[in-house]
Amino acid sequence: MSANDLALAVTVTVMVAGAAGTVLTSDVPRLVISLGTFLLGVAAAFLVMGSPLLAVSQVFVYVGGVLVLVLFALMMVRRSGDEKPKVATRHDLGAAVIALGVFVLLAAVLGPVAADPTPVVTAPNEVGAILLGPSLVAFELVGVLLLAALLAVLVIVKGGEDS
Amino acid sequence: MTFLWGLLWGLAAVMFIAGGAVIGVWWERKVAARIQMRLGPQQLGPAGVLQMIADVPKLLFKEDIVPDNADKPIFRYAPMAVFAPIAMSVAVIPFWAGWAPLDSTVGMVFYLAFPSIGVLGILLSAWSSHNTLATIGGMRAAAQMVSYEVPRSLAVLSVIVLAGSLQPTEVMDAWQWWWIPLTFVGFVVYFIASIAEMNRGPFDLPEAESELVAGYFSDYSGFRWAIFMMGEYGALISASLFGAAVFLGGYRWLPGVAGLAVFLVLAMVLITAVMWIKWTFPRLRQDQLMTFCWTVLTPLAIVQLVVAGVVALWL
Repeated sequence: MSANDLALAVTVTVMVAGAAGTVLTSDVPRLVISLGTFLLGVAAAFLVMGSPLLAVSQVFVYVGGVLVLVLFALMMVRRSGDEKPKVATRHDLGAAVIALGVFVLLAAVLGPVAADPTPVVTAPNEVGAILLGPSLVAFELVGVLLLAALLAVLVIVKGGEDS
Repeated sequence: MTFLWGLLWGLAAVMFIAGGAVIGVWWERKVAARIQMRLGPQQLGPAGVLQMIADVPKLLFKEDIVPDNADKPIFRYAPMAVFAPIAMSVAVIPFWAGWAPLDSTVGMVFYLAFPSIGVLGILLSAWSSHNTLATIGGMRAAAQMVSYEVPRSLAVLSVIVLAGSLQPTEVMDAWQWWWIPLTFVGFVVYFIASIAEMNRGPFDLPEAESELVAGYFSDYSGFRWAIFMMGEYGALISASLFGAAVFLGGYRWLPGVAGLAVFLVLAMVLITAVMWIKWTFPRLRQDQLMTFCWTVLTPLAIVQLVVAGVVALWL
């Protein structure tokens, strides 16, 4: 086992531990720490696999952005008094089915790609050239999708006002 | 071996930030005193320089109070999560021609990305204190730091576009003196957003001692409180070094050791300017702060980015 394999094994272990912690705990700070551990583990895995740009983007977007916003939203709904808020769900089974579906989808899409031995582009300049070159349409479509999601959230929030 | 070197560099970064923070406290007291027509510390040593040596044991030996109501393990270790990312961000700053402690190909993004982990530490310490003032302070800090990251990143992006690289040393190699007038707006946006990012006056609403005691670190004392302070001064030092390098040219002005000296002097001027601003301007209100970020700084940064992009086409 090479040093690279060892590093990858360590990051995967960290990821699995973080993911398990996220699912199993209901205490908000511990949940956030677990999710943060998982996301940093993903960043470390990208780094080990030789994609530093993906690694820093992961930290930038998910740890610094999404996770902070999640924690922020949870703090906003904190009830007064000494009562500690808990995150509980009655949809464990449904969530498990969805997670399994996503896994099957990803495995089906990424399986053939992983078997392909051609090296993946990792240099920042080349990634930029591909995003704004051959993949421009897909890149812009993702932007439209995000805009649609934003508008949908706006509609849901406004709809709840019942004015 | 690489791992051991990493450990050694990490230790060096922590010492650098901690030492810088101790000097920074003394320097800030002197600057603030001069602005208010006082003398500041002057009892211990010439111009009170030994005051900083006296401050360290004081903080080390103060009682370490953990409130009964707090979530104890998280309360104890959350300050580290505030401090560590800032110490990490120093690693990618180019100090010398072609040399940064960690000369990564994505160093510029690394510098912008890692300090944002500190927000998590702030939120966790605020939450685990189980205290209303800390919670409000933590939420203000999170809103402010997440928002000001946007104009800050856009401002740095204009330099990245001009240099055509994400590697700090390559950005420094490409740097030209006429970038200063060209990216001046970007530099001002970066400077203001960095002050907000480090929760300093006039953007220190998360700490607001007159209304929130000390915000997210109200319940901290002794050395754990000192870690927050080290984080704040560390962010000041790191942001000034980075701004002096990529916006003001850093070591490019003179060759060799003289260049390093120019770089450090530029950074010290920026540090002093931040302190000057803190002790001159009154504190903003929270909504003014957010409005300023989204309606003034962000559009300015975008305009700067467009200008830089157009110029980059001609390079």
